[in-house]
Amino acid sequence: MSSPTTAPAAPARSWAADKLFLGLSFWEYAKSLATPGNFVAGLIMAVGLPLMAYRFIFGLGAATNLSQTNPWGIWIGFDLLSGVALAAGGYTLATAVYIFGLEKYHAVVRPAVLTGFLGYLFAVLGLAADLGRPWNLPVPIVYSFGGPSVMFEIAWCVVLYLTVLFMEFLPPIFEWLGWPKARLWAVRMTIGLTVFGVMLSTLHQSSLGALFLMAPTKLHPLWYSPFIPAYFFISSIAAGLSMVIVESALSHRAFQSRADHHTDVDGIALGLARGASIVLFAYFFVKLQGIADGGRWAMLATPYGYWFLVEMIGFILLPSMLFAYGARHSRVALVRWTAAWTVLGIVVNRLNVSVIAMNWNVPDRYVPSFMEVWISITLVTLGVSTFRWIVNRMPVLNAHPEYPDSSSH
Amino acid sequence: MIPHDILTLYSAKMLEYGIAVLFLLLFIPFWRYVQGPAKAPAFARAAGRVPVSRAAEWFLTPADRLFHRGHAWLKGGDDGLVVVGLDDFAAKLVGPVSRVSLPAVGAAVGQGEQGWRLTAADGRSVAMLSPVDGTVVELNPALADSPGLAERDPYGDGWLLKVRPSRLRANQINLLAGNAVRRWMEEAAAGLRGHVAPGLGALAQDGGAPVAGMARAIDPDGWDRLAATFLLTAEEDDHA
Repeated sequence: MSSPTTAPAAPARSWAADKLFLGLSFWEYAKSLATPGNFVAGLIMAVGLPLMAYRFIFGLGAATNLSQTNPWGIWIGFDLLSGVALAAGGYTLATAVYIFGLEKYHAVVRPAVLTGFLGYLFAVLGLAADLGRPWNLPVPIVYSFGGPSVMFEIAWCVVLYLTVLFMEFLPPIFEWLGWPKARLWAVRMTIGLTVFGVMLSTLHQSSLGALFLMAPTKLHPLWYSPFIPAYFFISSIAAGLSMVIVESALSHRAFQSRADHHTDVDGIALGLARGASIVLFAYFFVKLQGIADGGRWAMLATPYGYWFLVEMIGFILLPSMLFAYGARHSRVALVRWTAAWTVLGIVVNRLNVSVIAMNWNVPDRYVPSFMEVWISITLVTLGVSTFRWIVNRMPVLNAHPEYPDSSSH
Repeated sequence: MIPHDILTLYSAKMLEYGIAVLFLLLFIPFWRYVQGPAKAPAFARAAGRVPVSRAAEWFLTPADRLFHRGHAWLKGGDDGLVVVGLDDFAAKLVGPVSRVSLPAVGAAVGQGEQGWRLTAADGRSVAMLSPVDGTVVELNPALADSPGLAERDPYGDGWLLKVRPSRLRANQINLLAGNAVRRWMEEAAAGLRGHVAPGLGALAQDGGAPVAGMARAIDPDGWDRLAATFLLTAEEDDHA
């Protein structure tokens, strides 16, 4: 029945060894994990995961400094708002490549989509920690939609877009699993998913800003503006582009053995810097319109005004100029540092809107508790570790040998 | 009482219009600054020996050229002009050329529009697409006496035109460089292999150099139409 064939030279490795342990045996793999980076990550999680359990067992009051006056802390300002803004690289790059046909950026689409997916995933985890009743999270999706609430749009967009990002990332997963038919099917959906993803991102990046339209008396007038949904959307593009510059530089250094050495990482960074520079330039003037529209000029000469100017000049205008200079003169290092600075600036902006300039006139100021900070760091560490785990296994930075064109999907 | 003039109606509005106009005025120089000086493409500066890869082991594609899908190349020079020619694939596809009909000096050429025409000894001809928008400033004088140069040395003495590009940056989006060239040439070679199968199997499988005038070898009677298919000018010829 079975025809005698030549025996393989070496016994085939088990599926787990091949797919999960990077071709090593379990013990070899476990040994390879003992690195300083993993030690630090492990330490953060060893403290952070019990803290998360503590928060879910004993509640928000025990774990956080949130109150009825200050119901939103850094889990919203940092984990959710900043996380979602920085995940915008997924839709920005997918649109640039699949819709505008800018083939040059093909090589960074997969890492950008993966960063987007993980950014959203961990933003949702952060949200689950922040919600008083996280078990009610599926309610607006399953029943009791609550259509008139701004939360309705946010909930639906995040659920749908998280799904879209996951589906956009299916081709590398199927390549890794060795399922060519499923991969073909997933690749065919690329354009449709990209279009859908742009729609959803446009809707909910801005609707996260629209949340604050409901707090005109709580948010400082310099940050409050009817244009705030547009601010959130425009700045998310700059955030996404900067994040891709930072992330591609770091990952091509950290995963040298994995990365495709033909990828022109520097050229891509300079091109993205051009885009980010122009977006930030426009963003600066749109923010200026908000000040003019609200007639807030006099407030610039107050302590909050100085802080606002730091954001406007230091984190918007300055990086715009530095990106422009770096792109024009091909200063890749300058562009990378500027991108990191812009990422920081976006985090500062989201924290300003949701925490720092929120309830600015209330004596009861919110300062995050140790547990809130540590849990946020834990979530970031989990995100970075997941990114590493995936990049080390799936064809993200490099094309799969069986699908040499795969980095194009 | 303030007169009801549109500009004094609401001073904040006027300021907003002012900011919008200021933005637009500043945006133009800013955009130009960010996009950098209009320089010849960087690949033109690659000096000395240029690596040549044999895509699909058949066709030469020097790394210092940009390629258009109609099988034409262009190369930037320091003088702001670009040199245009046909690629090795087109040369081997069409084979010996008896006449190259180039546009006149001063004529406008458009990317993806018919640029010139190659005529073979049998009188049949095939059109090719220009890889760039611009104005023709010089024709290769050597081609008048020996049109065969275009086929024998397509990347060297057989160049066709010098063009002053009008929108090189926009054109570059549609041009191929680096790995994309290799991939595209492999596709072209694969497409050719599909046609080769009936009568010319030995050529493809031997891995030897392809014969000059592959199109004629494949289809002696309809070679011009076959070549036009690969050079993306089949439709234009139908209308002609």
